[in-house]
Amino acid sequence: MKTLLNTGVLLLWGLAAIACVDPEDKPSSVHDLRVLGVSTEQPELLASTCEQTPEAFDELAAEVTYRALLVDPAGEGRPLQYQLWACADQDDRTCANAADRALLAEGTTSAGELTLPIRPGAARVAEDKLLLERVLEEDAYQGLGGIRMPLVLRVAAGGEEVYAQKLMVFWCPVVEGMKANEQPVLPGLRVDDVPWPEGEPLELSGPGPFVVTADDVSDREEAYVVPGLRLQAVNLKEAWEIAWYTTLGEFSLSETGGADFGGQQGRHRVEWEPAAGATAQEVTFWAVVRDGRGGSSWLVRRARWTP
Amino acid sequence: MAHVPTAPERGAGGARSRGRIPYAPRPMSPSLNARSALVAASLLLGTPALAQAPQDAAPPAEAAPPAQAQPVITKPPELLQQVEAPYPPEALAEGLTASVRLIITIAADGSVSDVLPTEPAGHGFDEAAIAAVRQFRFSPAEVDGVPAPVQVEYIYHFTLDAPPQEAPGPEQAPVARKATLKGQLISRGSRSRVAGATVRCGDDPEAPEAVSDADGRFSLDVPPGECAVRVVASGYQLYQTKELLQEDETTEVNFFLAPTGGALETVVRSERPKKEVVRRTITRQEAQRTPGTFGDPIRVIQTLPGVARAPFISGQLLVRGSNPGQTATMMDGVGIPLLFHLLGGPSVVNAEFIDQLDFFPGGYGSQYGRAVGGIVEVGTRKGAADTLHGSVKVDLLDAGFFLEAPVKDGISVAAAARRSYIDTLLPAVLPKDEGSTLSVVPKYWDYQLRVDFGAKRDARSEDEAQALAGGARSTGYVMAFGSDDQLRLVTGGPETERDLTVDTHTLFHRIKGDWTYRKGALTSVFTPYVGYDGTSFKFGVAKQDGVGYTVGAREVLGLELSPRLTVRTGLDLVYEHQSFDVEFPAPENFEYVAFPGAESVGELLVEHIGLGSFDGALFVEADLKVGKFIFTPGVRANYQRAGDARNVALDPRLWVAFNATERTQLKGSLGLYSQPGETFRFITLPYGNPDLSYQRAFQSSLGVEHRLTDVFNVDVTGFFNRRFSNIVAPGQIISLPGGGVFQVPYSNDGIGRALGVEVMVKKQRASATDKWSGWLSYTFSQSLDGRAGPLPEGGGGFGGFGPTGDDTAYGLSPFDQTHILTLVSNYVLGNGWELGGRFRYTTGRPTTPLNHTFDQYQVDRNRFSGMYGPYASARMRGFHQLDVRVDKGWRFQSWTLGVYLDVQNLYNAENTEFTFNDYRQRREYEVPGIPILPVVGVKGSF
Repeated sequence: MKTLLNTGVLLLWGLAAIACVDPEDKPSSVHDLRVLGVSTEQPELLASTCEQTPEAFDELAAEVTYRALLVDPAGEGRPLQYQLWACADQDDRTCANAADRALLAEGTTSAGELTLPIRPGAARVAEDKLLLERVLEEDAYQGLGGIRMPLVLRVAAGGEEVYAQKLMVFWCPVVEGMKANEQPVLPGLRVDDVPWPEGEPLELSGPGPFVVTADDVSDREEAYVVPGLRLQAVNLKEAWEIAWYTTLGEFSLSETGGADFGGQQGRHRVEWEPAAGATAQEVTFWAVVRDGRGGSSWLVRRARWTP
Repeated sequence: MAHVPTAPERGAGGARSRGRIPYAPRPMSPSLNARSALVAASLLLGTPALAQAPQDAAPPAEAAPPAQAQPVITKPPELLQQVEAPYPPEALAEGLTASVRLIITIAADGSVSDVLPTEPAGHGFDEAAIAAVRQFRFSPAEVDGVPAPVQVEYIYHFTLDAPPQEAPGPEQAPVARKATLKGQLISRGSRSRVAGATVRCGDDPEAPEAVSDADGRFSLDVPPGECAVRVVASGYQLYQTKELLQEDETTEVNFFLAPTGGALETVVRSERPKKEVVRRTITRQEAQRTPGTFGDPIRVIQTLPGVARAPFISGQLLVRGSNPGQTATMMDGVGIPLLFHLLGGPSVVNAEFIDQLDFFPGGYGSQYGRAVGGIVEVGTRKGAADTLHGSVKVDLLDAGFFLEAPVKDGISVAAAARRSYIDTLLPAVLPKDEGSTLSVVPKYWDYQLRVDFGAKRDARSEDEAQALAGGARSTGYVMAFGSDDQLRLVTGGPETERDLTVDTHTLFHRIKGDWTYRKGALTSVFTPYVGYDGTSFKFGVAKQDGVGYTVGAREVLGLELSPRLTVRTGLDLVYEHQSFDVEFPAPENFEYVAFPGAESVGELLVEHIGLGSFDGALFVEADLKVGKFIFTPGVRANYQRAGDARNVALDPRLWVAFNATERTQLKGSLGLYSQPGETFRFITLPYGNPDLSYQRAFQSSLGVEHRLTDVFNVDVTGFFNRRFSNIVAPGQIISLPGGGVFQVPYSNDGIGRALGVEVMVKKQRASATDKWSGWLSYTFSQSLDGRAGPLPEGGGGFGGFGPTGDDTAYGLSPFDQTHILTLVSNYVLGNGWELGGRFRYTTGRPTTPLNHTFDQYQVDRNRFSGMYGPYASARMRGFHQLDVRVDKGWRFQSWTLGVYLDVQNLYNAENTEFTFNDYRQRREYEVPGIPILPVVGVKGSF
């Protein structure tokens, strides 16, 4: 216990000190090539049985839609090269191991939403082995958290290069009550308690800060069941997180929501502050929601801001 | 010329004078007197530790448990042969007198090996006195029953008598007229009673005189009339006053004597013979006045060789490459379960209550166990035997008091308590915003209480005490200490990101007894203790209430079989029972496999976990003297039972010393050391690992200690340690036979290695008039830490702590510091002023450099992975800092007021404590350390 307390003390000192240091590059401030979010539709594939039957593998080999939110505000519409791989090892952040990867798609695109139909469950790697089996072999937890297949998107333009790894979850009903995850979708956003429409930019003026909130999502957060490490059923409830992004200024918090280990959930409230000295311009905002089990989606909003 | 020992002198300044052996002054020839007074003795070896004088309650070190491992002058030196100094002719011609103050070093065989004047008197007095004293012969002094070199302070008085008057005839003999002067001698500023002082009227050495007793009382019969009172006492300025004494009347007085020297406290130098290769001792005065430590005794340990600097002011002890938690800290032999108050605040050991600190960086004897790093032994303070004393201290964070007093003859009590008041100050400085609330309520308190019994105040040595007690003697004490820390943090409101509530409460209480029995060559020390621990933690809906009970005992039996062979053996047993009531949302990776990213809210789990553990040790060791060699072989057999775990570890140890000369000692040690895992780590999977075994270490060292002069001491020690089977977190993932998979939270995969050289140069104050003291501490070392097996799933830190490595499971310890230099110096400016400084330089800790070439974004976690160079291939900038402390004291008749200003980081060095990376892992940022930080404190004592 003494060691834990000592460690905790050091951690607290460290966190307090880090709070005093202000890095220049802020997560919420979008100014170069980035991948802000990735989702798959469906977010996970649930086989009807855990028996390794051809039917079960067919269910897991279903086509899903892969979406990636690419931003490149300084790129002026330049083409972005991309490759999408699936591979076996989660620690292989770039799918560098050629023997354990399968190329799902490649090409050229531009900033915005990249949409690709893929069938990762059907991907095969060296020796014509089903990638799903290789993923399971690499999993120290032997599939108790589902078969989590890394999907790695490489995006490059000019000298910039980004690898984005998303885990695609393949399940089977290990314990009673399991059902496939549903995509989390934000109902809407508000600025200073005023609904923020999707279609047209909102007029904002002044130095701010502007309070941005998400409409209540508590009724959309799913209760779900997963197998426990002792093969028992464990009941969980989603606690969505929202990541906030803007092309001008920064948000007070780059992430909101989620739950801490005491079950305390955050509220989705941030303050947006335009950059000092900025001129009037149209600003793009993104709110990327994650449900904590692989589901994700995003909202895009615009505003015409004047000082 | 016989010397008549008197009662032990007591009551010098704030420190009771221990290790002093007073002798009554003796008149010389009627016409020309060279009068000597042996006024003080103290053990000599270099380090300024307080010697345990003929202290009744302290047992000999051989048989003592850690708490009683104090030095005892078991036999004081006696002057067998005195040589009169010739009166310097020139001084005689001029009618000059003088008192030459000398420091005499008495060798173990009783001969005078060195004589140094402390206050040159000139006019040939010094040379004459030194020449005479060099021919003195003493009976050998004994420390802990062993002949040992000691040092005494000696004043050689050269006085001139008035011409002899014609003796009256019998018919003229007047009727004897008498007046009585009675009173008490009290130390100014502390109210300590001054024992062993000489009181007389005038400076005629033939005049009647009285010597004050242990309570400072005296009674002097003199002819009536005006008495020019002169009081001479070691460690005090000459006291002179005039009293008009009436015939056949008794005049009652109290004389307040001013301690000598610029400081407010008397210097008593000593060091007991070392039974370990390296033992560093810190006195209470050093602990309280080392700059930059806020007077915190545990933090002073960090200034000693072999201890790496811990980040910030956390005070963690990183000893010879070991990790936090691997150095045991004990108070009088009983483990202190929690070392520091809230958030790395002050240590739970009140500086006022300690007598001294012993620090063993390694190579300690078989009596000690349950640590693979070092040992810190806090020796507590015995209550005053003369009268009530106390102090009150107030500083930035807390206020406390200390009281000590005799209850009746042989029984004394000491008590201290402290409480923080930052909980009352914080609301005034916390920000207040509409739409949000922030409440932080930290508070702590601690206490210590000690009652001693069995002391024989009139005994000057253990032999004498035993004789007074009828051949066998029992002494002992009962002590209680404890601590309580609470922290409540509430933040929230509609304009905050989340509502947060944290409640923590940690407390412990310990009661220990100590019974020491001595008879002849046998010494037995029995130390039973019981304890209660409580922890409470609430965070949202998660809560944990833990209760722990401890019962333990030590028995140490020492027997001096012959002057060459002493054997010690004993038992060290402890049983703990811990239970926890836990309510937690199902924690990820313990109950289910977490998906990276947002943590879901788990179903509430309610558990009651209880576990008992026993750890016992049987130890035996012997001191065998062969010529100039001393061999101390020993073995400690450890047995642990925790839940279903049964562990055994055998720790053989050997210590060898070679006394090359009286001033030089070569020393070496090697041995095995074991530390049991804490009880809570043995709870069942997935929250514990019932299969844990002892953590082990091999420690070896080789060094030399040389006394350059009486006040300069040099110690150079090399060490090589290997740690193995250390407990690290987490362990590997295992499959259960009945299905299911777990990651074991702890495993015995930890290994480590450290080697280095430590240098300690210490200058101590020779006497109260010596102004300067300090030490230089330097360590050159390399520390490695890691795992014997592969890195577990999720990486895991080395040794359960530190940064995650790459595929390598063994490398530089995150605390490795190649060079650790500390300079500590204190100077007594006089008039109550004292100035101290501490300068530190350490090599920066290892870091793994960023090597960013492209972004690696983990979408589900919304975090970026870093790309790094080789593990621990870079270092942070070196740390350097100067701390300064200024003390000012005012001594009043009955009490003393002290004020101090302790300034950390005087020149505001921008040191780096940690580094962290920006969110895309592209750039490294440095986290600065503590800026300049002045702290003011006030202390009043009486």
